[in-house]
Amino acid sequence: MSATQTTPTVATEDAPASRLSRISRLQALQILILLVVTIAVFTALRPDTFLTGFNIRGIVQNTAIYAVLGVGMTFVIITGGIDLSVGSVLVFSGVVADKVMVWYGGQGWATVLVGLVAALASGLAWGLVNGVLVAKAKVPPLVVTLGSLSAALGFAQIITKGLDLRDAPQALVNDIGFGNIVGQVPTIAVVAAVVVVFGIVLLHRTRFGLYTYAIGSNAEAGRRSGVKVERHLIKVYAFAGLLAGFAGLLNLGFFQSTTIGGQSNTPLNVIAGVAIGGTSLFGGIGSVFGTVIGLFIPIVLQNGFIQVGVQPFWQQVVVGAVLVAVVYVDQLRRAAALRGTSPRLPFLSRAGGAGSASRKGSA
Amino acid sequence: MKRKSTVIVAVLAAVALGAAACGSDSDGGSNAGGGSDGYELAFVQGVAGDAFYITMECGIKEEAAKQGATVTVQGAQKFDPTLQTPVLQSVIASKPDAILIAPTDVAAMQQPIAQAKAQGIKIVLVDTTLNDPSVAVSAISSDNSAGGKAAFEAIQKLAPNGGKVLGVGVQPGISTTDARDKGFADAAKADSKFTYLGVQYSQNDPAKAASIVSAALQKDPDIVGIFASNLFSAQGSATGIRQAGKQGQVNVVGFDAGPEQIKALQDGTVQALIAQQPGDIGVQGVQQAVKALKGEANEANIQTGSTIITKDTIDSPEGKAAAYKASC
Amino acid sequence: MSAVLEARGITKHYGHVEALADANFDVQAGEVVALIGDNGAGKSTLVRILSGAEPADSGEILFDGRPVHLSSPTDARALGMETVFQDLALAPHLSPVQNMYLGREVMRNGLLGKLGFMDAKSMRDGSRAAFDRLGATVRNLNGPVGSMSGGQRQGIAVARAAAWAQKVIFLDEPTAALGVVQTQNVLELVRRVSGEGIGVVFISHSMPHVMEVADRIQVMWRGRRVATYNKADTSMEQLVSAMTGALAQEAS
Ligand SMILES: Nc1ncnc2c1ncn2[C@@H]1O[C@H](COP(=O)(O)OP(=O)(O)OP(=O)(O)O)[C@@H](O)[C@H]1O
Ligand SMILES: [Mg+2]
Repeated sequence: MSATQTTPTVATEDAPASRLSRISRLQALQILILLVVTIAVFTALRPDTFLTGFNIRGIVQNTAIYAVLGVGMTFVIITGGIDLSVGSVLVFSGVVADKVMVWYGGQGWATVLVGLVAALASGLAWGLVNGVLVAKAKVPPLVVTLGSLSAALGFAQIITKGLDLRDAPQALVNDIGFGNIVGQVPTIAVVAAVVVVFGIVLLHRTRFGLYTYAIGSNAEAGRRSGVKVERHLIKVYAFAGLLAGFAGLLNLGFFQSTTIGGQSNTPLNVIAGVAIGGTSLFGGIGSVFGTVIGLFIPIVLQNGFIQVGVQPFWQQVVVGAVLVAVVYVDQLRRAAALRGTSPRLPFLSRAGGAGSASRKGSA
Repeated sequence: MKRKSTVIVAVLAAVALGAAACGSDSDGGSNAGGGSDGYELAFVQGVAGDAFYITMECGIKEEAAKQGATVTVQGAQKFDPTLQTPVLQSVIASKPDAILIAPTDVAAMQQPIAQAKAQGIKIVLVDTTLNDPSVAVSAISSDNSAGGKAAFEAIQKLAPNGGKVLGVGVQPGISTTDARDKGFADAAKADSKFTYLGVQYSQNDPAKAASIVSAALQKDPDIVGIFASNLFSAQGSATGIRQAGKQGQVNVVGFDAGPEQIKALQDGTVQALIAQQPGDIGVQGVQQAVKALKGEANEANIQTGSTIITKDTIDSPEGKAAAYKASC
Repeated sequence: MSAVLEARGITKHYGHVEALADANFDVQAGEVVALIGDNGAGKSTLVRILSGAEPADSGEILFDGRPVHLSSPTDARALGMETVFQDLALAPHLSPVQNMYLGREVMRNGLLGKLGFMDAKSMRDGSRAAFDRLGATVRNLNGPVGSMSGGQRQGIAVARAAAWAQKVIFLDEPTAALGVVQTQNVLELVRRVSGEGIGVVFISHSMPHVMEVADRIQVMWRGRRVATYNKADTSMEQLVSAMTGALAQEAS
């Protein structure tokens, strides 16, 4: 009766990468290739204008704010959720920051710092509202964030009576919005890059990131393993809100305006970038790096199309087709690699799987 | 499987390339056409696919052809500075000689347009403007105040006996519609036969405009004219009049003359339209751009007029000419 | 000989379905209790309640003789109870190592750990040791468990529970998907774990396996315990007849 038969089964070994992680790496690689090919094609078509310092700088600037939002969106979508409110929260935070900076007065860095705190606090507040409603009240994320999309914009309009505020301090506009950190490297892009690197480390190296994946993968398993699923979901939405607030300040610096009438396409553009970047709308899979590439692709396509003189409507058609095609290819690969994922989009259903716990358990 | 996805990626790249190639063919390309000294112009619309900007585009293309210049036209899918900025940036990168642009925000577009100027590109502002229009060689726009005045003149003709008139605006703070509302208000106050009831704002929501108008008709059943300073305000005002059962008694004057507005006029939901002259703005825009490129003196500010269209004039040559175009 | 875990009068309804009707249960330290019963008898429901995954409608749970309230799986785990759920409760996109340590990651020392950085190496080593002990055929510690075979997944879940259990371990049909060798490993593990003084609750539809490892056998029928036998005093025939409801009354 002793442990004599510790059988010579195949022992565990550390294969460098499994099918699925190889595939997700492949996905990031493929869209990177798609981006490089796109750039190459446009460079060939417009050798004198496409790959110029001015144009690269512009493309990077135009991606920066989306990238900040994209980091938060990636986390939310990995949990199986979605956040449609980022554009409105951005506007709301910009409005609050603008008001607070006017109240504080001045054009210097102290004013910007005060504005930063105000913007982060406003974004965080909306993120918490989203998170609590999703995690505790179990309202589907699509509905919650559709509601806050509308409410945050509404509050912004109430505060401003519908008129854009344009009181960004000089430091914010000249040094962050349109400034260069060195040479022709735009500050706003460097700031966004810092956020992106932070997001990558947070997602792939820390417990916070692990729980984000775990919830999107199987929230009930996470709960039974002792992950505080509800609390973590709140944190994830709060993080997305915080970044939207930060983006609100950047936006104010870049446009010198709270862009109340704008930003309506922002959440969808960001979600498209996240999806192109290989993050699964079913949750459990994704990367911040992919999101950044995924955000670049439509922007580079649009830029290139404009330079070669393609009509605006065709640009939209191609960008839409690229989105669907890339995600379709991704889906094909994944279906082969990982069976048994839920066929329903999780953000249409109740959060965290807690509600369906007992049913899952009874199989 | 792997091969399949690689194929799809390749196809995507091919599609991108193909679309790019045929796009540049069909549009003449920014650096393909042009004569020996043909200037390359770019027109950045406020929003793509809008009759007002298409009509302007027609004027621009016509005049550019006369001047031997080539034009590329670009616009974002919404009237939104966050969408217009990347479009403008790409246009700047393609290095045209001059850019005609309808800025979507007086502040937000200031820096991006200044960047164009910094690249040595001549700027002409068409229709809308900037906080500091000095970055442009010329700013050409409709005289919106005169347009508002024209709207009142239309009501004078439709209701020669006078009475109460109401304004239905979009929202305060939009320079163009504010000027229209003011032009209308000033003209109405100046005529003693008419009583001006003020302007109420629909927030660009037809339902809100409808409830504003039906409530106003409850209070003042004898309103004879309403000036609705944009499309949705006009649509909603007509609905509000129908709700109050006052069809035929209240005259609605709308602004702009796109296909929808013309249809509303034909249907009798509105009784008159104030048409701006976007084609003329475009023509003058090109003239100013070319002047600047040739080093000639510019007119810093140009205002274009407006035309009243009613059911009687809608089919006349003047009416037809004043209506906006859906394509050139 | 007092029970390490005891349940008294547990009831649980799902809408109109009465999954548990005044069910009793007990397991002692170092003992293997087999919990058997027909499909739908309520075994998994009882396990979920006793491991804190679901609340009971009524009833009492005693741990080491003291009443406890298990409001979450974390409570049960804090008491040293681990569970292999029938649906395994693994996160399919995570690796075996991540699943093994989910909810109790090993953090790095010092500041990095406080910032949320994990000690990947020590978790990997710990997982490898746990899998090797079970002889689980986990070929790849990095791949997502969702792409592994049913048996491999079951092996991971069992290894995880065995590695953490201190007092009680629930195994809800742990061998259903396993190969012959792996099944023997699990049965071996059951004996070894109980030898360490841990109470083992073993759910299985395989009577030979039950007879092989159990010290006592508790039979459930329609949401209640209808019989408890010492292995020495019973036979397969008796167990089968108890499971089909021939004894409506609890016999003990
Ligand atoms: N989430 C749920 N919703 C509704 N009914 C449930 C749920 N979970 C279990 N039940 C019901 O409770 C009863 C007991 O189910 P349970 O899963 O505990 O049985 P079991 O003894 O584990 O069966 P098996 O041997 O098939 O695993 C069954 O009638 C089942 O249909
Ligand atoms: Mg069961």
